Amino acid sequence: MTWTIARKEIVSNLLSYKFFIVILLTAILIFTSFFIMHRDYKQRLTDYSLIKPKPIEPIAVIPPNPLSIFSKGLEELMTRSFEINVIQITARSGMKSGNLLFSYFPVPDFLYIVRVVLSLVALLFGFDQVSREKERGTLKLMLSNSLSRSKTLVGKWIGNYLSLSIPFLLITLLGIVFLNLDPDIHLSSAHMVRLALILFFSLIYIGFFLSLGILISTLTKRAAASIVILLFIWAILVFIIPNLGTLLARQMVDVPSVKALSEKRQQTWTKEVLLGEEDRRKGESSWDTRYKNIYSEMDKKEEDFRNKFNSLVKLSKNINRISPVASFVYAVTDIAGTGIGEESSLKMAVVSYRNSIFSDVISALRSRVKKEYPAFAYRHRPLSQIFAEGALFDTAWLVFFNILFFALSYFAFVKYDVR
Amino acid sequence: MANQKPILKAEDLSKRYEDGVLAVDHLNLEVHPGEVYCLLGANGAGKTTTINLFLNFIPPTTGTCYINNIDVTRDPLEAKKYVSFVSENVMLYGNFTARQNLDFFAKLGGRTELTKEDYHQVMRRVSLQEMAFEQRVKNFSKGMRQKLGISIAIIKNAPGILLDEPTAGLDPKAAAEFLEILRELKNEGKAILMSTHDIFRAKEIGDRVGIMKEGRLVMERTREELQYEDLVKIYIDYMRSEPLTA
Repeated sequence: MTWTIARKEIVSNLLSYKFFIVILLTAILIFTSFFIMHRDYKQRLTDYSLIKPKPIEPIAVIPPNPLSIFSKGLEELMTRSFEINVIQITARSGMKSGNLLFSYFPVPDFLYIVRVVLSLVALLFGFDQVSREKERGTLKLMLSNSLSRSKTLVGKWIGNYLSLSIPFLLITLLGIVFLNLDPDIHLSSAHMVRLALILFFSLIYIGFFLSLGILISTLTKRAAASIVILLFIWAILVFIIPNLGTLLARQMVDVPSVKALSEKRQQTWTKEVLLGEEDRRKGESSWDTRYKNIYSEMDKKEEDFRNKFNSLVKLSKNINRISPVASFVYAVTDIAGTGIGEESSLKMAVVSYRNSIFSDVISALRSRVKKEYPAFAYRHRPLSQIFAEGALFDTAWLVFFNILFFALSYFAFVKYDVR
Repeated sequence: MANQKPILKAEDLSKRYEDGVLAVDHLNLEVHPGEVYCLLGANGAGKTTTINLFLNFIPPTTGTCYINNIDVTRDPLEAKKYVSFVSENVMLYGNFTARQNLDFFAKLGGRTELTKEDYHQVMRRVSLQEMAFEQRVKNFSKGMRQKLGISIAIIKNAPGILLDEPTAGLDPKAAAEFLEILRELKNEGKAILMSTHDIFRAKEIGDRVGIMKEGRLVMERTREELQYEDLVKIYIDYMRSEPLTA
C-alpha cells in the first residue's frame, strides 16, 4: 500500500508542470554554479602558481581546495599568504575571486543552491500533500479504503522524496562528471568520499524541508494557507536565525577586534625595541632575551584573543543550530575543508610554522643574509577529526529534525479532519 | 432480505461535535444485501455525518457502526475492506487518465490483479465513453467524474456501498444513468446506503427511505409502504414541523 501511494506521487509529479519547471530550474542553477565556481577555482589556481613562495621567503600559503567549487566557505581567507616576520604573522590578500559580483551577491556555490533553492523546492513538493488532497476530495476516497494513515503519510513522503532527490542526484553527478573532464581539477578518491558525504547531507537536509512542508500541510485546510505559512517559516530558518545567532553571541561575548590586537602588537613591539635599545646601551640585556619577552607577551595576547574568539564562534554556532540550516552549513563546509574549524586549524599550523622557523627569521634579519626556509605544508583535517569536532553532532541534529518533523506530521495527520 | 445479516448497521449511533452540535442522535439502521437505503434530509440533518461515521473519519460519541458485522471503531481497516465510497463531488487526480485513477484506487482497494481490459470493462459498464478511458480527468464533466467514481466503487467489489449525495449537480440524463447503475449493483446483492436531497430519486431507487431531522431518524418507510403514501408530502411535513429540540 505504501508503495502504491509512493508510486502515485511519483507519477503525479512526473505528469505535472510544477515538477518539470522545478527540475529544469534546479538543473540550470547547479550547472551554472559548477561552471562559475569552476572558472573561479581555475583563476585561484593560476593566482596560486604566481604567489607560491620561493624557498627564501618565510611565507605560508596553501593551494586552493577543489572542494571549494562546491562549498566556498572561508576558502578566500584560508588561501591568503601568511608572511612570517619578526613582529607578527601578516596575512596578505590572497587568491580572491576575480568575479567582483561575488562581493554584491552570495557566492552561487552548490551549498548555497541546496541551502536556499532546494529547501524551497522541497517545500513546494510538500506544501499541498494533505491539504490539496482534502480540497479535491481524494483524501476521503483514499482513506475510505483499508489504508492506514501512517502508510498514506509514509507513501507520500517516499514518493515525493524520490521525485525530488533522484533528479537532483542525477543532475549533480552529471555536473561532477563534467568537472572531472577538466585535467586541472584533481578530485582524488578522498575528495570523492567527501563529496559523497556532502550529497548525503544535502539529501538529509532536503528530507527535513519535505517533512516540514507535509507537517504544515496537515495543519492547514487549504494549500494556499499552507504555502504562505511555509514561506514565512522558510525565511526564518534559512535567513533570520543563522544571522540572529551571530548578532546575539556578539552581545554576550566581548571580543576585541583584530585591528585592536594588531595595534596592541605594534605598541608592544615599539616599546620593547626602545627599551631594548636603552638596555643595550647600558649593556644590561641582550636582544635575544628582549625578543623572548616580546613574543611571550604577544603570544599571551593572541591566546587570549583566540580563546575569546573561539567562545564567540562556539556560542554563535550553538545559537544558530536552532535552525537545522546552520547544522547543514557547518557540516558541509567542515567536510569540504572550507569551514570555521578548518580555518582555525590552518591558523594554528601557521603559528607552528612560525615557531619552527622563527630563530632563522631573526638570524636572517640580524645578519641580513637571505636564508632558505622549509616549505609550509598543511594537511586538511581528516574526516574522523571533523566528525569528532562537530560534524557528527550536526549529522545527528539534522537526522533528529527529520525524525521530529516527520513524527509531528504523523501525529497531526492522525488527527487530521479528512471531511 | 431481513433474514440476511446486514452489511451496514448503525446501532444507537450518536455524534456530538466539539462545538456542542448534536449531528447524529441515537440512530439505528440496517442495510441488507441487495437493498438500497436512502437517507433523506435537509442540510445539517446528519446524513453526511452518518456516512463519515461509517467510514471512521470521525469517532462516534456513543453507539457503534458495523460493516459486515465488524465494529468500525475497533477495527476500521478490516471493516473498510467491505465497503466502497462515492462522494458528492468526485474530483480525482486531474493529471491522471480515467484508467490511471481507476488503477490507483483499485490497488488501494486491494485489487492488484486487474488488467487494462478489466478497467475498460468497468468503465464501459458505467457508460463512460470509450475515448475518455485514456483521457486526463481534468477535462471531464461532473457526470463523467461521477461515473468514474462509481467505477471505483464497482471495481473494489465490496458488499457495501456508501454514497454521499452522488446525484447532486448531475443533469437528469446523467442522474438517470447513475441510478440505473445503482439498480444493477443492488441486483448483484450490494447493500447500498445513499444520502440524498432528491426525494423523487430516493423514491425511485430506495427499498427503504429514512428521513433525518436534527440528527434523528424521524421516519422510515419501505418501498411497499410508499406506494400508498406521498413521500414528498411526508418529507415536507417533517421539514416544516417544530424543531425537535424545541
